[in-house]
Amino acid sequence: MAMIPKSLEKQINILDFSLSSLWRRKLKNLGIMLVFALVIFLLGSFQMLTGALTNSAEAVLGNTPEITIQKMSAGRQEAIPLAYIEKLRSIYGIRAIIPRVWGYYFDESNLANFTVLALESDLMPYGSELNLSLVHGHFPKRTEPGTAVIGRSVQNILGLEERRVFSLFRPDLSLKSFNVIGLFSRQTDLLTNDLIVMNLDDARDLFAMPPSMATDLCVYVANPAEIETIAKKIAGMLPDTRVLTKTQIQKTYQVVFSWRSGFASICLLTALVAFAILAWDKASGLSPEEKREIGILKILGWETGDILAVRFWESTLVSSLAFIIGCTAAYMHVAFFDASLLKPVMVGWSVIHPPFKLLPAVTLGDLLLIFTFSVLPYLAATVIPAWRCSTVPPDSVIR
Amino acid sequence: MRPSHILLFFLLLLILIDGTLYLHARRLDNDLKSEQALQAITVAGLGLTDLCIATEARYTRHPAVSDAMAPFMDHPGAIEHFPTGSFWNAPANTDKR
Repeated sequence: MAMIPKSLEKQINILDFSLSSLWRRKLKNLGIMLVFALVIFLLGSFQMLTGALTNSAEAVLGNTPEITIQKMSAGRQEAIPLAYIEKLRSIYGIRAIIPRVWGYYFDESNLANFTVLALESDLMPYGSELNLSLVHGHFPKRTEPGTAVIGRSVQNILGLEERRVFSLFRPDLSLKSFNVIGLFSRQTDLLTNDLIVMNLDDARDLFAMPPSMATDLCVYVANPAEIETIAKKIAGMLPDTRVLTKTQIQKTYQVVFSWRSGFASICLLTALVAFAILAWDKASGLSPEEKREIGILKILGWETGDILAVRFWESTLVSSLAFIIGCTAAYMHVAFFDASLLKPVMVGWSVIHPPFKLLPAVTLGDLLLIFTFSVLPYLAATVIPAWRCSTVPPDSVIR
Repeated sequence: MRPSHILLFFLLLLILIDGTLYLHARRLDNDLKSEQALQAITVAGLGLTDLCIATEARYTRHPAVSDAMAPFMDHPGAIEHFPTGSFWNAPANTDKR
C-alpha cells in the first residue's frame, strides 16, 4: 500500500466504506439496482433490436428496383394497365420496364398471410444467379404453368414436407393447384419466408386479374444518377400513379423503427416516469437514519467533501452496475433469445414468425442516450440531498 | 478481503462476459455478411422492397410500397387494430401519395 498515492488511498477507503454502507442496506439497494437494470434492459433491447433490423435493411435492400410505379385510384393502390409501359417508351434513359404481379393470399385454415409474387426474373438484375437463393430447384419459367417456389414458412404452414402439390383458392373459390419446384434457403428467410413465387400467368389466374394488367412496374434506368429526374418525368407523364424511387424505399427503413413509433414511446415514457418517481423520492429528502449517519460522520471529523464522495460512490456504483448489467442482458436477449420479449409485439398477430438472426446494434450514441436517461439523473438525485444535509450543523441532525 | 477487491473481481467478471460477447458479435457479423451477399442477389432478382418481419398487415409487411397508415384503412371503423401498427412508424416520405 506504500506505493499508492495518499489521495488514491483515501478514495479507495471511501469506496470500501461506501460498499459496506450499501451492503448494510442490501435489500433496498439490490432492489433499486434490479429495477434500474430492468428499465435499461428494456430500452437497450429495443434500441439493439430496431438498430439491427435497420442495419439489415440497409445492407440488404441496396438492390431494390430503381423506380417502382403504382397506379392510384381513390387514394388506394390498384392494378396498373400494361399499356402504361408503351407511354413510357418515349422517356430517354429507361433501360427496362418489368411488370410485376404480387399481392397477399390469406390462408383461412391456418390464418396465415402469404405474399404471392410473379415476374419474369430472367429480365431482372442478377436474374441468372437467382437460383442460388434456393435450397433446391429453380424459378418457374413462363413455359411451366402451375409451378411455384415457396418460402420455408409456407412449406411448414401448409404442412407440405415431402409432398410437392398444394392448392390455393381463386376469388371465386375454385381451386388452383401448384407444383413446388423450389424452396428458398434458410439464409434468405429475412426476405423470403412468406413468399410464393410463380409465373405471371398463374398469378393473374389466381388473383383473377386481366392479362392486360399488373400490380406495379419496376423501372431500371441506364444511368443511376438520373433516377430522380426520370422519376419526375414519369410522375408528370402518368399523373394517376405513385412513383417510388430506390432512395425513398431505402429511407423507409431508416425511420420505420424509431422513438416516435407507439410502442417505443410507451417504453420511453414508462422509463422516464419510473426515473422521475425515483428521483423525486430521493430528492425529497434523506431518511432520519441517513441524516443521523451523516451527523455522526461529521462529528467524527469527516468533511462535507468526504460525505459527498461517499454518496457519489454509492450512487455511481448502483447506477453504473445496473447500466452494465442491463446492457449486457439486452445484448444476450437480442442475440441469443431472438428478442423473445419484444418479438410478440413486433410481429403482432402474424402466424408466420421468421427466425431473427440479427446482430444487435450497439452504438456509442445509443449507449450514451441510455446512460444519460439512467445514470445521470440518479447521480443528481442522490448527491444533491446529501449535500443539503451535510451542510447543516451535525448536532441538530443527531439530536 | 476488502470490499473494493470483491467489487474489482465482479467488474473483471463483467468485463470478461462483455469481452466474450464482443468476440461473438465479430463472428456473427462475419456470418451475416456472407448471408447478406445472397440476400442482395434475391432482392435484385425478385425486385423485393421489404423485409419479411411482420406478415399481419400490408403496411407492416411492405411498409415501403403500401399505402401509408391511415385510419379506417382495412374496414369501416378500423382505426388501427393490428399490434404491429403500434410498433412501426409510418414512412416519412412526404412526397409519397
